[in-house]
Amino acid sequence: MNLIEMNSICKSYRNIGFETRVLEDVTLHIKEGDYVSIMGPSGAGKSTLMAIMGCLSQPTSGEYILDGEEVGQLNDRKLSRVRNEKIGFVFQAFHLLPGVTALENVILPLVYAKRPPGNIKEKARELLAKVGMEHRLHHTPGQLSGGEQQRVTIARSLINNPRIILADEPTGNLDSKNGRETMKTFDNLVKEGKTIVLITHDLEVAKHAGRIVSIRDGQIASDHEEKTFSL
Amino acid sequence: MRIFKNFGQALRGLRLNRGNTFLMTLGVMIGIASLTVIVAIGDGIKVKVLDRIANMGFGPESFSVIAGAGRMFFARSKNTVSMTLEDAEDLLALPTVRLVVPRQRKRLQIINKKEFTSTRVYGVTPDWQLARGWKMVDGDFLSDSDLDRKRRAVVLGATPARKLFKGEDPIGKMVRLQNQFYEVIGLLEEKGLTESGYDPDDRALIPLTTSMSRLTHETHLHSIKVVTLNPSQVPETMETVRQVLRRNHNLSVLAADDFRFITPEGIMQWVTESEQALNRMLILISTVSLLVGGIVIMNILLVSIRERVREIGIRRCFGARRSDITFQFLFESVLVSLLGGIMGVGLGLAISFGLKRFDVLPTHITVEPFILSFVFCTLIGLIFGIHPARKAAFLSPEESIRS
Repeated sequence: MNLIEMNSICKSYRNIGFETRVLEDVTLHIKEGDYVSIMGPSGAGKSTLMAIMGCLSQPTSGEYILDGEEVGQLNDRKLSRVRNEKIGFVFQAFHLLPGVTALENVILPLVYAKRPPGNIKEKARELLAKVGMEHRLHHTPGQLSGGEQQRVTIARSLINNPRIILADEPTGNLDSKNGRETMKTFDNLVKEGKTIVLITHDLEVAKHAGRIVSIRDGQIASDHEEKTFSL
Repeated sequence: MRIFKNFGQALRGLRLNRGNTFLMTLGVMIGIASLTVIVAIGDGIKVKVLDRIANMGFGPESFSVIAGAGRMFFARSKNTVSMTLEDAEDLLALPTVRLVVPRQRKRLQIINKKEFTSTRVYGVTPDWQLARGWKMVDGDFLSDSDLDRKRRAVVLGATPARKLFKGEDPIGKMVRLQNQFYEVIGLLEEKGLTESGYDPDDRALIPLTTSMSRLTHETHLHSIKVVTLNPSQVPETMETVRQVLRRNHNLSVLAADDFRFITPEGIMQWVTESEQALNRMLILISTVSLLVGGIVIMNILLVSIRERVREIGIRRCFGARRSDITFQFLFESVLVSLLGGIMGVGLGLAISFGLKRFDVLPTHITVEPFILSFVFCTLIGLIFGIHPARKAAFLSPEESIRS
C-alpha cells in the first residue's frame, strides 16, 4: 500500500503580476517502509516538494493522498494535526528552540498532540537515550555541538511515533563522522519500519536509500531502485 | 487543555526574550504608575479636605459666613469691609440662632524674648469656646471684660506655646505681637496633628476688640460663625442670615451676595464636584498613557515576531495550529501587560509614599488602582496583542523555517 501518493502535483507561487511554477506535474508514490532519497540541484524544487509532502504547504493542483487521506485541501486545523501525528521533521539547520533544554525540545511535538501519552518526560528520555544523548538532557542547543543537536532533532522527530520521517539535508551542517552517525541512525529507523524520505544533494548520503528520485526543473528526471543498498 | 499549554509556551517565550519583555512592560508600567499616583493624590486631597472639615469645629448645627463674594475657601475679593459687629448682633437676635462668633484672622509672628514663630492669630469673642467646645488645660479663656477693656490678653494653642516656652509654664508670661506685649492667660488643650498634617493647635486667640484696634486696625469682620439651636434649622437659618446681611449691606435685588457660606454639606459637595473633575482628567490621562503603553507592546511584539519567525515555523512544523500560535502570542502580550501593570502599581505606590513622606502632596492609597490596572492591563494586552498574534499565526510555516 502506498503511504504517500502524489498525483500530478503542481505548485506555483504568484508574485506581483507573474507566476513562478516550481513543481510541474509531479507524480510520486512511496510505500510504507520505503527509504527514498530525493536529489537535485538547488532551485530544482526539492524543498517545495518536501514542504508539500510534509503538509507545510499545499499543492496548487493535483492530488496528495497521505496514509489514505486526501490532504491537499485540508484546513489548517486538520493539516496541523496530520503534521503532528504522521510526520517527523529533521532539518539541516536543526531548528531547535533556542534557550530550551534538549528534553523540552524533544517534548515540543507533544505540546500540540491531541492525546499526549501520560509519561511524556519518560518517553523523551528514552528517545534521547536511544540517540546517545542521555547525558545531555538539560543542555540548551547553544551548549551542544552540531552532531549532538542533530541527535536531539532526530529524537524530537520520533516522539510522536510518526509513520514518516522527512529529513532535509540532515548531514549538511555536520562533519563526516557525525554525518555517518546520523545516517546510521536513519538506516536503523528503516529497519524498525519507518518510512524515510531524505532530501540531499550528496550522492554518498543518497545511496543509503533504496531508491533515488532525481528532480530537475520541477519535474522528476529519474527514479530508480538502488541495487547496492542491502538491509 | 491545549490552551494551558499555549499559556505555558507563552511564559517560556517571555522568559527567553527577557530584553523585549522588559521593554514591553515599560510603557504600561509608566501608564499604570501615573494612574496609581493620580488616584492616590485624588484620594489624598479628599481625605485632607474631610479632615479639615472635621477640624474646623463644625458641628452639624453650625455654619460660617465669610466676608467677600466667592465660593467656599476661594474669595473673589480680599477686601470686603461690609461685614460688621452689627451684623453679628442682628444674627444673634434671630430666633433659631444660639450663638454667633464674629472673627478676625491674621497670620503673625509671635515672639517670646528670643523665641518666635508664625501662627494664626484670631480675634474672637468668649462664645468662640462654647461654639467649638474646646477645653482649656491651664488658665482661663477670654472673658467679656477682656473684650470690654480691649485687654492685651492671649490664649495660646499647644503648638505656639511649645515653640515659645519650651516646656515652661506660659501663664502670666508676656508675648509680643507686632511690637506690643500681650499677657498669656490661657492654654488650649492639644488636639494633635490630623492625618493629613494640618495642625489645629497652631493658633493664638485674642479679644476681637483688641484685634480691631491694635492688630488689624479694621472694624469689619472676616467671618461670623453661626450656631443654631438644632441641626434641622441650618438651611432656614442660612436663608434668613442671607436676607439680614443683604439688607444690612444695602444690596440691591440684582447685586450678588458680598459674603459666602461654608457648611459641612457645602464642603462635601465641593469636594465631590472637584473629585468628579479630577476623575475626568484622570480618565483622560490614563487612557492616553495606557494607549501609548499598548502601542509600545504592539510594536515591540511585531518586531519580536520578526525575530522569532523561525520559532513560529518550528512550532507549526510539529503540529501547532494557527490558533495555538495566536493564543501563545496573545497570552504573551496580556502577561507582559499585566506584568507592566504590577510593576506600575509598585512604582506608583512608591511615588505616592514618597510624595506623602516628603510633604509634597497628600496621598491616600486605596484598593481602586489595583482593580483598575488589572482590568486595563488585560484589555490592553488583548487589544494590542491581537494584531501581532494573528500576524504570527498567518506566517507560512514553509517560509518561516527557511528564513
